[in-house]
Amino acid sequence: MTLVRVPPPLQQDVDLSQTYDAVIVGSGAAGGMAAHVLTSRGLRVLMLEAGKKLDINQELRSMQWPYDHPRRGDAPPGSHALSFNEYTIRQPPYAKGSAFKHVYSYVGGWGGSDYVKNILVDEKDHPYTGSNYAWVRARCLGGKTNIWGRLALRLSDYDYKAKSHDGYGEDWPISYADIAPYYDKVDLYLGISGVKENLPHLPDSQFQRPTKLNFGEVKLRHSLAEMGRVLTPYRAGVTTDGVKHNKYRSKCYGRGACDRRPGGCDIHAAFDSPTGLIYPAMDTGHLTIRPNSIAYEVLIDRNTGRARGVAFLDNLTRTPYEAKARVVILAASTLESARLLLLSRSPQHPNGLGNTSGHVGHNFCEHVMGPGVTGLVKEMVGKPRTLDDGRPGGFYVPRFRNLTDRQPGFIRGYGFEGNSGHSMFPAHTNTPGFGAEFKKTVRDHASAFISMGGFGEVLPRYESFVDLDPEVKDSWGIPVLRFHYQFSDNERKMAEDMNTTAREMFEAAGIEVVGADRKTLTEGWSIHELGTARMGSDPKTSVLNQFQQSHDVRNLFVVDGSSHVSASCQNPTWTIMALAWRSCEYLADEFRKGGGNL
Amino acid sequence: MTDTTGHEEQSLSRREMIAATAAALAAPLLPATTATAPSPVALSGKFLTAPELALLDELTELIIPTDDHSPGARAAGVAAYIDGRLAESLEPEWQAAWRSGLQAVDGLSRELNGQPFLLATPDQRLAVLTRMAAGERAPNTPPEHFFTELKRWTVQGYYTSKIGIRLDQEYKGNVYQQGEYAGYDAK
Repeated sequence: MTLVRVPPPLQQDVDLSQTYDAVIVGSGAAGGMAAHVLTSRGLRVLMLEAGKKLDINQELRSMQWPYDHPRRGDAPPGSHALSFNEYTIRQPPYAKGSAFKHVYSYVGGWGGSDYVKNILVDEKDHPYTGSNYAWVRARCLGGKTNIWGRLALRLSDYDYKAKSHDGYGEDWPISYADIAPYYDKVDLYLGISGVKENLPHLPDSQFQRPTKLNFGEVKLRHSLAEMGRVLTPYRAGVTTDGVKHNKYRSKCYGRGACDRRPGGCDIHAAFDSPTGLIYPAMDTGHLTIRPNSIAYEVLIDRNTGRARGVAFLDNLTRTPYEAKARVVILAASTLESARLLLLSRSPQHPNGLGNTSGHVGHNFCEHVMGPGVTGLVKEMVGKPRTLDDGRPGGFYVPRFRNLTDRQPGFIRGYGFEGNSGHSMFPAHTNTPGFGAEFKKTVRDHASAFISMGGFGEVLPRYESFVDLDPEVKDSWGIPVLRFHYQFSDNERKMAEDMNTTAREMFEAAGIEVVGADRKTLTEGWSIHELGTARMGSDPKTSVLNQFQQSHDVRNLFVVDGSSHVSASCQNPTWTIMALAWRSCEYLADEFRKGGGNL
Repeated sequence: MTDTTGHEEQSLSRREMIAATAAALAAPLLPATTATAPSPVALSGKFLTAPELALLDELTELIIPTDDHSPGARAAGVAAYIDGRLAESLEPEWQAAWRSGLQAVDGLSRELNGQPFLLATPDQRLAVLTRMAAGERAPNTPPEHFFTELKRWTVQGYYTSKIGIRLDQEYKGNVYQQGEYAGYDAK
């Protein structure tokens, strides 16, 4: 198979005089999947992306060595990435009054920050207000999928039917059996690597070849098995055997440096929306993309009450345009889609579009993170190097709390993401001292550390919400989001438990704990925001039906994470894509039948 | 574009001018014995003066020296890397902290050894750095504060250099691999 390095033409003629079958706002995991499913069913689709259509290989430079970059991967002077302290001590908008020319979210402080400066938004142009929140946004074709963490997990009926399990919140309007065939489709179309574990709370995927564990991870896996817990190789949204139907993606060669997330994956073995979904959709001839298009309102036909298109501003010229379509699909991300619904106010929809329930922007949830441990695998001290950094990730420890047991302090659960072994930059450089002894210590310990951090389910609450700030606007004059969101006692108790169990598991495995992060990171840090336009069968308490279709406006769909009813503790990207696939098949079926239900 | 280029040239030449002036001023102060000091860096940096750069070069090499396994910070060009970052920085306070930090090293050396760092014997230099590193966990004096900054940037510069990654760390990645992944199957 020859890898096609040249993407479809970056410039397209966009005809805004015609009425498209569907207009999609956003080009990340959700928008890309909607484009794939609808164009493969023959619908003519216009995709609006707020950011640039970057030549992503030029941006990522995955295999550039640090020493071949003038600042070893750091962004140029004048750029600043927000720190944990700034997020904690200051209030949004965080970039207000900053002396720096550009201010980025904390992701701009990851190693290789120079590679994300055109992917992340500049906080100076994109303010928000209200409570503390580390909001990470990527505006470019593919959005956050260009630099995502790649952990690709399924949800189970412990999640879809969580209320039935513990009485809190709402059940989803679907069960695992409804979505399982679509998880399979996503697995087979995009490729996923992992090992079958037969866990009821973390269903297996249609896996390709797994990455391997290293010594410390095997040691921990064996020890956890005795406790009835599981450590499984990172379930990565990475094609390890290749996807023959996609000429834009190569299989994984295990080459590294995979730790450097801002470097992305320039052979696209790791899933990203442009090569995985959008380029193939363009090859059908049915997809038109208009980049630099900032949507600010879903347009409604005054007579029929139906959506008739999307109003947007050109990012560069600020000229307003209208895109006309028979179906409108929002996939702008959990918070941006909610913002767009709230911005779309009209006499018929005074509280925002699709919001007769009053739930748009509410039930906002995500994952709490921060607690974690680092341990020393003493058998590995002084051992020869292995290529641990040629893996998309290390390992995952699935949820073990509140499955058959019932914790006194909190409901729901958490999992751990972990990694160990050698990375490009050695782990032990904070060891004190200097000289030959320091240098040898760093060298001897470089492969000997193992670490993991928890991701816990944050409960959806009506009181956790975003609305529009009445005064503050972004650089394009569009009202910004105001956050009313903070962790509750359930999350705090859960985080304390993460601290305890993480340490306990390492110690039981004979791994000496040499570092522990006890603090909980700022709300938003997981970049897994969900729930602001939730699905449900009751239009009084939900925004969308089980096909992510607005209860109020039948030709309006919201196919991103905003539709999720609860956060689960599993990473959401694979579920976002499975749901979008299911909804868009329904949409295409209805469309072909004449659109009576649209 | 014209503006940017013009500004760039202007600021570069200004930096060079300052560096040259500082080097000229500093030169007569150096006694003849300088010539016998090991591995002096004769040239001025983009931000640091020639004597400052020579001092930084020696300090980085003492923190990460050449050993029988791999070359150290001097061979990896760490001092020049730090100087380059300082030169393009837009934070005058940070630049000034480095300048005064290097002065503090000489100050401490005069206090302990009666002469500037580069004129001291190897043992005397080691004593200075050992004193600076004593407060690494909780730095207190200016030389102690400077040590944490110096070490952080030396580590950063060295382990992102070709020598650091390829020779010292023997990093195996970032090249196309053949065959299976290394490691163990999950079982």
